[in-house]
Amino acid sequence: MARSYTACGILALAGWLIAASALAESTPDETKSSQSSNHRFSAVLESEAAYGMARDRADKLEMLLEPQWEYRWSDDTRITGIARLYTEGFDHLEPGRLSQGEVAPNSRRLQLGDRTDIELREFYMRTRLWGMHLTLGKQQVVWGKADGLKLLDVVNPQNFREFILDNFDDSRIPLWTVNAEVPVGGGNLQLLWIPDRTYHRLPQAGATFAFSSPLIVPQAPPGVTVNLRPLERPHNIMMDSDVGMRFSKFWHGWDLTVNYLYHFADFPVLFQSVLLTPSGATVTVNPRYERNHLIGGSLSNAFGNLTVRGEAIYNTDQFVLTTNRRDGDGVIKSGEMAYVLGLDWSGIQDTMLSVQLFQSWLLHPGDGMVRDPLDTMTTVLLRRHFLNETLETEVIWLQSVNQGDGLVRPKVSYELRDNLKIWTGFDLFYGDRKGLFGQFDRNDRLVIGMEMGL
Amino acid sequence: MRSHMQNLIMALFLLSPLAVSDVAAESLLAGEEIARRINARNEGEVVSRFITMAMTDRSGTERVRETKSIRKYFGKEKRTIIFYLSPSNIKDTAFLTYDYPEADRDDDQWLYLPAARKVRRISASDRGDYFLGTDFTYEDIRKETKVGIEDYSWKTLGEETIDGHRCFLVEEIPVTDKMAKELGYSKVQSWIDAEIWMVRQAKYWDVAANPLKTLQVREITLIQDIWTAHQLSVENHKTGHKTVFTFKDVTYGQSVKDEMFTEDALRRGY
Repeated sequence: MARSYTACGILALAGWLIAASALAESTPDETKSSQSSNHRFSAVLESEAAYGMARDRADKLEMLLEPQWEYRWSDDTRITGIARLYTEGFDHLEPGRLSQGEVAPNSRRLQLGDRTDIELREFYMRTRLWGMHLTLGKQQVVWGKADGLKLLDVVNPQNFREFILDNFDDSRIPLWTVNAEVPVGGGNLQLLWIPDRTYHRLPQAGATFAFSSPLIVPQAPPGVTVNLRPLERPHNIMMDSDVGMRFSKFWHGWDLTVNYLYHFADFPVLFQSVLLTPSGATVTVNPRYERNHLIGGSLSNAFGNLTVRGEAIYNTDQFVLTTNRRDGDGVIKSGEMAYVLGLDWSGIQDTMLSVQLFQSWLLHPGDGMVRDPLDTMTTVLLRRHFLNETLETEVIWLQSVNQGDGLVRPKVSYELRDNLKIWTGFDLFYGDRKGLFGQFDRNDRLVIGMEMGL
Repeated sequence: MRSHMQNLIMALFLLSPLAVSDVAAESLLAGEEIARRINARNEGEVVSRFITMAMTDRSGTERVRETKSIRKYFGKEKRTIIFYLSPSNIKDTAFLTYDYPEADRDDDQWLYLPAARKVRRISASDRGDYFLGTDFTYEDIRKETKVGIEDYSWKTLGEETIDGHRCFLVEEIPVTDKMAKELGYSKVQSWIDAEIWMVRQAKYWDVAANPLKTLQVREITLIQDIWTAHQLSVENHKTGHKTVFTFKDVTYGQSVKDEMFTEDALRRGY
C-alpha cells in the first residue's frame, strides 16, 4: 500500500514537472513583471515530494502557490500582499484538522479540509515618514548573519512541520508588526512593536516530525499518567506584545549590529507538577509561554577569500527540562550566553566552503538538566555552481558535538528554464534517538521538487 | 591636376598644424594614457536605469532577468546597487558594491538573497567570478565601461575601425600572475573609441591563455551630454554561453538618497 502511494506520488510529481515545464516555456512575456505599471503581480508555484526511506512510504507531496501583488503608490510608498495556497497529498506532516493554538486568531490559516489551507502570508505598507522608513503590517523581520542556526533570527516564529528541513522563508511565520527604521549617527536604528501573539507551530503527536527527544519533551516513567493541560497563551494585546530594537552600522569595513528583543520565547515551557494518589502518580503538564530579554549583536567582514560572520547573544530567561524529581516544576531557569562564528571561503571559482561553530552556555545550570551546560554544534556547507549558475550542487552537514547526532543534506538543483528550477536531494539523519537530530533517524528521505515563477 | 592636389594637401597641412599634430599625438598615445582618458570620461555622478539581462546557453535556451540599477559617486568612491525585478522566483535578489579609488583597498560587496531574507557579505577576491550566472565578472559589473588602470600594464598596438569608428587597439596584461588569477584573465585586447574614449569591443583570454570571451558595446548615444552604451553583449567562447545587457530609461543626475546604498536598503528592496 505504501509502495503504491509512493509510486502515485512520484508519478504525480513527474507529470506535474512535465506540465510545469511546458507552461514555463509558454509563459508569455506580458505575464512577467512590468516596470511601467503601478501594479505588479507575480506568483511562485512550488511543489515538493519526499519519500521516507526507512518507513518505505511517501512522506509528502505538497504544492504551494504564492501569488504576490504590489502596488506602488509613489517612489516612497508601496503596498505588498503575499498569499499562500498550501496543499499536501498525504497529510503526514500536519495530520487532521489543525488546532492552531499557537497562532493568534487574526493570523490563522483558513483550512479547506485536512490537506489544504489558505494563508495571508504578508500584507504590509512600506513608506517614508519624517525621514523614517515605516513598514506596517504582516511581515517577516530577519536578524542575524548565521546560516541555518537561529540566535538572532528569532523575531518571527517558525513552523516545525518539517523540523528544520523546510527553507526558512517558507517556515518562518510572518507577524503583524510595526517596523520603523530611522537613520541615526550614520547607521540605521530599527524599532519593532509586535502585537501579534503567534508562536512556533509544533507538530502534534502522530506527525512525521513530532518531537520525541527528551531534550524537548518530558519523558514520563512507565505507569505514570500524564495530564496535558491546554496551552496558556499571553492574552493582552498591549502588555503581551514583543518589542525590539536593532542598530546597524557599516564601520571601517565591518557590518555591525546591536540587537535587543523583549519577547515571549516561541517554545512553550512545559511546567510539570506531580500528584500522588492511591491509584498512582499523575504528572500534569502546564505549557506556558515565558518572557525573555535577548541582548546581542552581529558582525561580518571580508578579508581576501575569507568572509567572517558572527552572532552573540545573552538570553536572560531560558528554561531547560530537568529529570530531578525534587525539582518543583520540572524545569530549570537559567541565563544563556551563545555565539556562532562562521567562515566562508571562496578561493575556488564558483565554489564556497562555509563552516560554523555554535556554542551555548547555561549560566545557572541545575541538577538533572536534560542538556549539558555547554552545548556545541558545528555546520559545514560546500556549494559549487556549474553552467553559468544553472546547476548548483551542495551538501550541508550539521553535527551536534554533545549528542553525536546530526543531519547531512546533499542536494542538486538545476534551472531548467528561465523561471523553472528543479531539484533533488537527501535528508539523512543519524545518531542517538535522544538527540535533536537523532530523534528523526527513521525520517531519512529522498526529496524531489520544482519551483516555477509565473 | 596632380600639382593642384599637392598644393591643396600642402595648404591643408599648413593651415591646420594643430589638428595634424593632435592626430599624430593620439596615434602615439600610450596605453595607460588611453586608460586614463577612459576613466576620465564623464559618466555622471548619479545614474539610474533598467537593465534587461538576457542569457543564452549553447543550446539556445534563454533566461531573462529584469533589473533596476542605480550608481552614485561619493567623491571618488563609486557605489552601485542592482535590484532584480523578475522573474518572480529570483525577484528581490539585490547586489551592492562599494568600489574604492585606493588600489590597495578591497571593494566591499553584499548580496541579498530573498530565499534566506538575509544580506550576505561577499569576499572582494570573488571579482573574477561570474556575476549571478552572466558572462560578466563581478569586476566587469563594478567597472561598467571604466577600467582598472592599476590592475594591468597597458600597451597600444595600433588603430582599427569598429562599426565605422576609429579606435585604438590596446593590449592589457595583468600586472602579476596573482592579479591574473583574481581577474580571471591573462590578457585583454580592447578597441577604444578615439573620440569618446569608450571601449567598443574587447577580447579576453583566460589564465591558461586560451580565448575566453568577446565583449561588444553597441548603441552608444548621448544622454544628457553623457555618452551612454545601451547594449553590452558578451560571448563566452569556451562555453558557448552569451549574455546581453540592454539598458532602458537611463537617467543621469536624479536625486538619490545616500541611504539607498546600504545593507538595509538591499533588504528593503526596490
